[in-house]
Amino acid sequence: MDSLFSQLCVLGSSLVLIFGLILLWRRGVTAYVTAFTWQSIVLAAVTVTVAYFGHDHELYWVAGALVLLKVVVIPRLLRRMERRFAAERELEPYVNTATSLVISGLLVLFGYAITRPLVALSQLPTRAGMPLAMGLVLVSLFVVISRKKALTQVVGFLMLENGITLLAVLGTYGIPLIVELGVFLDVLLGFLVMQIFIYQIHETFESIDVEQLNRLRH
Amino acid sequence: MTGYVLELAQAVLALLLAPGVVGLVRWMKARLQNRRGAPAWQPYRELGKLFRKEVVVSGNASWLFHAAPFVVFASVVAVTFLVPILAVPLPFDGIGDLLVVVYLLLLGTFFLSLAGLDPGSPFGGMGASREMTVAALAEPTVALAIFALALGAGSTNLGQIVARTMTDPGAALSPGHLFAFGALFIVTLAETGRLPVDNPATHLELTMIHEAMILEYSGRYLALLEWAAAVKLLIFFSLLGNLFVPWGVSLALTPATLAVAVASLLVKIVILAAAVAVLETRIAKLRLFRVPELLSVSFVLALLAVTSSFLLR
Repeated sequence: MDSLFSQLCVLGSSLVLIFGLILLWRRGVTAYVTAFTWQSIVLAAVTVTVAYFGHDHELYWVAGALVLLKVVVIPRLLRRMERRFAAERELEPYVNTATSLVISGLLVLFGYAITRPLVALSQLPTRAGMPLAMGLVLVSLFVVISRKKALTQVVGFLMLENGITLLAVLGTYGIPLIVELGVFLDVLLGFLVMQIFIYQIHETFESIDVEQLNRLRH
Repeated sequence: MTGYVLELAQAVLALLLAPGVVGLVRWMKARLQNRRGAPAWQPYRELGKLFRKEVVVSGNASWLFHAAPFVVFASVVAVTFLVPILAVPLPFDGIGDLLVVVYLLLLGTFFLSLAGLDPGSPFGGMGASREMTVAALAEPTVALAIFALALGAGSTNLGQIVARTMTDPGAALSPGHLFAFGALFIVTLAETGRLPVDNPATHLELTMIHEAMILEYSGRYLALLEWAAAVKLLIFFSLLGNLFVPWGVSLALTPATLAVAVASLLVKIVILAAAVAVLETRIAKLRLFRVPELLSVSFVLALLAVTSSFLLR
């Protein structure tokens, strides 16, 4: 029973990480939104799995809120932005695609290295997925710093948040529902603020290339 | 003794089945695109026709041009003896493990590229240089992806890897296996010249890779090369099918289990052929300069596969 549980968790975490890697390889915003939506669906499935095997009923609510926010609301808002900025493709990131893929591979390795003591200490059957969640956090951070388009960075930030949620669910069977709700609200508000920023950047520069912001120094 | 007979039967089956697999992918693709399509046995007819035609060789070609089809064909035939297609363990398991398989396949690729360069036609040179670019990126990924499985099994022997996964079914869902499957699937498309990397349906494009190298060939040489390419596809399909989902592979050499093994092999091949056909219908060919990016995706997947199976042992 436990081995099935840990297998399912590791499987889910691997899929979540793979959807994170799509961000580095694809260029169109449409692909990013699809990847984010699927990642959130898998994340919700992992949460439900943990709730079922860990007998924690609060986690079902967390999974429900997750689906509502990250599978329905945020992708819809992202699609609306995409309609407006679809022509803005990630053509020249700071680090080219092949190199960033190799770097992300190394980052996942690094994730394995730093979660080693954590995994060794933990007794939970979910522990094997934690390095993958940490890997996703690092890869998403890398997306945020290495990509130029504001919209890509926003999706990177959202995936970073998914990584942290996954780490919490796997590492401690989730944080209390009230805290989780607060986090979700923060994510939504943060996303809305970023959305306003992006529209403003686009208004000012007629592009969502954040490199343009360098001009503000003069 | 039965083991050796079985080895021979396995190789013969692979050789006979291979053109049918190519035909099946073509037929499925045609149906998906609302065309009637040639029947799945069309490649057999084409091979038969080519074997009867005379060979025309360029005056500039050296002995290499004549030798290459035989080397390419021989290398894939040798691999059919080493890959677990129907049963494990096989008597030849001791002769060659995963590294031998990878490098035998590379030997064929190498000679095909030389043969492409040999007659001095500009297309051949272009094809050869592209094939080498793809091979240099794809070959390490094949080795790395199968290494991820080898780590779990504690042996690079393909037969033992299959046997290990069958005794421990949970391993088939481990991240190592999943990442490695993704990596090997992408490499299969690249190595066998399928769509995102090379277009198998044409030989009139500037972007072609495999067809560019064999453009100068005709008659039975061409037949051998086409046949070898089909067998290579079958080898990759059976690696994907039997290493990752080994159920059905015969562990005992009885007629009943062998019948199950043949049936399950056919099912796996049909599923993989359908996957390739759907994929080729859905996506367009990648720009040549994006191919290394696709292959680095598969390399990273293979790298993750090795790490996770190493660290989660």
